[in-house]
Amino acid sequence: MMTIAPEAVGGIGILVLLGALALGVPIGVGLALVALAGLALLLSPEAALIKAGVVTFGTISQYELGVLPLFVLMAHLCFAAGASRDFFDVAARFVGHRRGGLAMASIGGCAGFGAISGSSLATVATITSVALPEMRKANYAPSFATGALAAGGTLGSLVPPSGALIVFGIIAEQSIGKLFAAAIVPGATQALFYIIAIAILCRLNPALGPGTVRASWRERLAGLVKVLDVLALIVFVIGGLFIGWFTPTEAASVGSVAALLLCWWRGRLTRRALADALDATLRTTGMIYLVVTGAMLFATFISVTGIADWLAHFVISLHAGPTVAIIAMALVLLVLGSFLDGIALMLLTTPIFLPIVQDLGMSPIWFGIFLVRTMEIGFVHPPLGLNVYVIQGIAEDIPLPTIFRGIVPFLLADFVHLALLIAFPALALWLPGVVK
Amino acid sequence: MADPVASKPPLADDAGAVEFGDVAGASAGPPARGPLRRVALGLGSAALLGAMVTDSLSVAGRHLGFTILGTIEIVEMCIVVAATSALLITALDHGHARVRILLERIGEKAADRLDRLADALGVAVFLALAAGSIWLAGDLWNGHETTEVLDLPVRWFRAFWITGCLLCAAVFARRLVRRR
Repeated sequence: MMTIAPEAVGGIGILVLLGALALGVPIGVGLALVALAGLALLLSPEAALIKAGVVTFGTISQYELGVLPLFVLMAHLCFAAGASRDFFDVAARFVGHRRGGLAMASIGGCAGFGAISGSSLATVATITSVALPEMRKANYAPSFATGALAAGGTLGSLVPPSGALIVFGIIAEQSIGKLFAAAIVPGATQALFYIIAIAILCRLNPALGPGTVRASWRERLAGLVKVLDVLALIVFVIGGLFIGWFTPTEAASVGSVAALLLCWWRGRLTRRALADALDATLRTTGMIYLVVTGAMLFATFISVTGIADWLAHFVISLHAGPTVAIIAMALVLLVLGSFLDGIALMLLTTPIFLPIVQDLGMSPIWFGIFLVRTMEIGFVHPPLGLNVYVIQGIAEDIPLPTIFRGIVPFLLADFVHLALLIAFPALALWLPGVVK
Repeated sequence: MADPVASKPPLADDAGAVEFGDVAGASAGPPARGPLRRVALGLGSAALLGAMVTDSLSVAGRHLGFTILGTIEIVEMCIVVAATSALLITALDHGHARVRILLERIGEKAADRLDRLADALGVAVFLALAAGSIWLAGDLWNGHETTEVLDLPVRWFRAFWITGCLLCAAVFARRLVRRR
């Protein structure tokens, strides 16, 4: 009887998974199915079932994984408190009068909202619905306005408490607190890069984003006062996590309690609001738990095949150096990101790439930031570019090619930023070394 | 919700459903209604709030100088109930994450066939997860597995998880049959 090498089974499994995902099989179902079939083939059907029993209950009863639903609850309670548009409003009052100021404010709004939502798609949907009408009223070029919003929305995936980083931390068994700390400088510099891109574009062509009426200092301070409570919540939760007051799961719990208090403080705490927040939280939680459970099974399968070790040895035997290997990975991620959405991309590639990265002597924390940063680019580049479709859903009269055209300068900024992250890992690794 | 996104019907579900996960194609339809969903929502909400309060009290206790024992165990069991209920709610709402790039570009008939395939595979996976969990629970049942500090009976939480898996399989199966 012909036997297939475990590494080959791993390779076939990955191809089958890609096919299943492309055919619309739910991501968690596809991951679990390939893992179970592969484990049955490599070990035995009984062993595969028992592994399924052990891994799934282990996953859903994991204390650390509780951070996900609790941070989702915090986000939904903040939405219920009406905190969504405040960050854009206050940023617009400070810089809206400058050329491209509203676009810069939308970047600030995305960074602020990302610190509540932890999601790129929710960030772009919310800030677009608030900022795009203002930019259109101010005669901004549609391609420029939507390009800035699509790019700014990706900040939601990186700014703590990022959902993508939490998922990475769990499947890669890395400290979520350290990942959050590592994301701060790359997130801030990414926002800065976008703002610089806006400033350059508006200097070259002032008609792209004309200035608006300057807000008085009284108006600016009034806007600032309005966001103080949400800012305090974010600083308390993320700051408390960094200085060791609480663990990530505790931070999410305390953050949810603080968000409940925020709702009450703003007079928005009703039984209906709480019920809606819990309903939305559980819907999102179910979706994520199936994907994470499938990913844990898939990681077990990949580990049994030994394909990751084989690839790591292959990469090392090329003597090409870590930088070349990382650039090759970035290219693979960008190509796969053209047709796979972010979380599927992360769950598929982490079990394969992480051992290679570790064998090359690079930090898994840095790799988490690099992976999420690369994944973010997939949110804006064609053909998938989910952020673009979200914007088009809001501004139906702006054609997709116009939005994609507007994204090009920001994509260039993204590539430069990604190159910097590869060249200077300290961008991500400095802060986790400083905080507790 | 008072969120501006929520006031725009086409995006309200999208923005909510993709929260944190950033996965495409979730939330294909409005939330399902019915007694099973209401029970799952009630249990899941209570468990989630239970985890939130327990962990917060634990933090407060640590900083104020009193210790509450076994809070991690309580949170873990709350998370089992919340996660199982959440999986069932998402299955009932047809909200599991999918890559829709191909589904949106093919004809209705072909898309329907692929939907049926996805449902059939969903049944298979949830049944396999339930079978593996039943096998394991069967081996451990008479050992009266409990948590270390509070002696919480883990087997009943395993039973809850298995019930959730079987119900998810039933939800996928019902959708598969109804499509025919």
